[in-house]
Amino acid sequence: MAKPKLSMRDRYRLLTRDLDWTPTYVDPKDVYPFTRYEGIKIHDWDAWEDPFRLTIDSYCKYQAEKDKKLYAVIDGFAQGQGHLSLTDARYVNSLKLFLQGVTPLEYAAHRHFAYLGRHLDGPGARFAALCQSIDELRHTQTEIHTISQYNKYYGGLHNWSKMHDRVWYLSVPKSFFEDGMSAGPFEFLTAISFSFEYLLTNLLFVPFMSGASFNGDLATMTFGFSAQSDESRHMTLGLESLKFILEQDEENVPIIQDYVDKWFWRGYRLLGLVAAMMDYMLPKKIMSWKEAFELYFEQQMMEGLFPDLEYYGIRLPRHLDQAIAEKDYMSHQVYWILYQFSFAASFNTTVPTPEELDWMSSVYPDTFDRHYRPMWERAKRMNDEGNRFFFRGLPMLCQICQIPMGFTEPGDPTTIAVRTSDFRGERFNFCSDGCKWIFDREPEKYVQAWLPVHQIYQGNCGGTTIPEVLAWYGIEDGVDNGEYLTSADKANWDKWHAPAVVGGAS
Amino acid sequence: MTVKALYDYDYPSRDRQELFGDDMVVNVLWAGNIFLASAACFRAPKAMTWQDFKTQMIDPWAACDPDYEPSAPTDWRIDGEQVSPSDTTTLADAGVVHKGLITFRT
Repeated sequence: MAKPKLSMRDRYRLLTRDLDWTPTYVDPKDVYPFTRYEGIKIHDWDAWEDPFRLTIDSYCKYQAEKDKKLYAVIDGFAQGQGHLSLTDARYVNSLKLFLQGVTPLEYAAHRHFAYLGRHLDGPGARFAALCQSIDELRHTQTEIHTISQYNKYYGGLHNWSKMHDRVWYLSVPKSFFEDGMSAGPFEFLTAISFSFEYLLTNLLFVPFMSGASFNGDLATMTFGFSAQSDESRHMTLGLESLKFILEQDEENVPIIQDYVDKWFWRGYRLLGLVAAMMDYMLPKKIMSWKEAFELYFEQQMMEGLFPDLEYYGIRLPRHLDQAIAEKDYMSHQVYWILYQFSFAASFNTTVPTPEELDWMSSVYPDTFDRHYRPMWERAKRMNDEGNRFFFRGLPMLCQICQIPMGFTEPGDPTTIAVRTSDFRGERFNFCSDGCKWIFDREPEKYVQAWLPVHQIYQGNCGGTTIPEVLAWYGIEDGVDNGEYLTSADKANWDKWHAPAVVGGAS
Repeated sequence: MTVKALYDYDYPSRDRQELFGDDMVVNVLWAGNIFLASAACFRAPKAMTWQDFKTQMIDPWAACDPDYEPSAPTDWRIDGEQVSPSDTTTLADAGVVHKGLITFRT
């Protein structure tokens, strides 16, 4: 008689927790040396409940099926010249930002979850981290394979990995993630699993994946679907790990609150790039940054999640009021920076079309016509006169978020904010109260920041002239950077979409 | 608060003054003009005169706004303190520190 089939619960227990043992001739503290120094106290790792109860065999089977579907779509996309069905070549700039800025973070996440998969004391937690580590590697690969379809036809996508390590605006996501990776395991879990994958994830993935769907990018949209079930697992891990830590010891609460405060602001500042992408790089808009922030943060998190977290003693993140005050103008400030520094970026920027300007007036009624429309109209006049407006020089950067100092005083879009701290007799500058607060918590950490502008001035970036630095970045001047209307992408797009000539093109 | 670590955590600043020799990093903000999206950052000799810094660094940068008049800047401030250095005063003597901030208005 065949043996009765094990229930999923039993299989999970046998294949994960049941394979664990308590070391007897080595002190467990030596086996897991990194889970005590942050001051977090875990009394019972067995209290960790994995809500998915995945086992490796079911995990692999499930992921293989998703991969098969995705690669079939990518093949079809390549054979059918799917890139020609985009709304406009201008859309590809959002993919450039994604591949250069987000894909390397997926790989960094793969590395760090592998580390957690070894170094957390509990087998349930280790196994959840292991699965996420494999997910992140899969996302890295599938993003590269999806977006590489565009590399054959469009500029700016050829050198994303090196660019991530070198280019000024990519130091924003890179330094964000390395801040997390160089922190303790519980801070990393709060930073990435909770703050990034739970609190802010919809503000990252919805703009890119819905943007893809709205703009005819079937390949990226299919990747998005393929990653979606993983992302919901990551969100659950984020929330469950936070609750687990909070339930283990009351003394954990202030430590976790401090991490939530820090990583909300870190993540929010990083999303400045997404906000700019959403409002300016998508020819067909999904919703404005302001609407997305109201829906995915104010409604879902402030009104949905945080009332639940109050039970554990967690309150709303510090400096949240400033993020709310900025929702009416933050995307405009970031894209205005990208517009005038795009001579050194591996994507193109341009003045929004008249229809887009009208859309922005309607979704930003309190700020757009007053502050930003006049600047765009002026930039357009300059461009029409043959004087494309670029910033003539290098920007001052925030020591923490590394974004050029273009954010303004909360509630006042006309006054650029500068905060400073002195540490060991040296001056440090910040864009906001949030970034200054993060520095002042751990100045010894952030004095080591690799600020792209200061590195250029120290002679560490291939030279001191713009062409030398662009060559070191791997950006081909005149092809990958600058104005969209005069770009190779635009010229090619127009050529591909020119009406067919009877008797064949010459 | 200091960094929590399993070892002595002590590293030098990556932008400390000595790495710039006789020069320093000087930031400049055109206050009240958001057409220039960000404050600017320069590397300049500490011994550079105020006038040379203005004509060789600030003027060419600010001129990317076509409305900029080199005679227009007023209300000069160094780290928020109002100043009126003579043309021949050096940046260091005027009170500009490494990574300090000069602002003006027009």
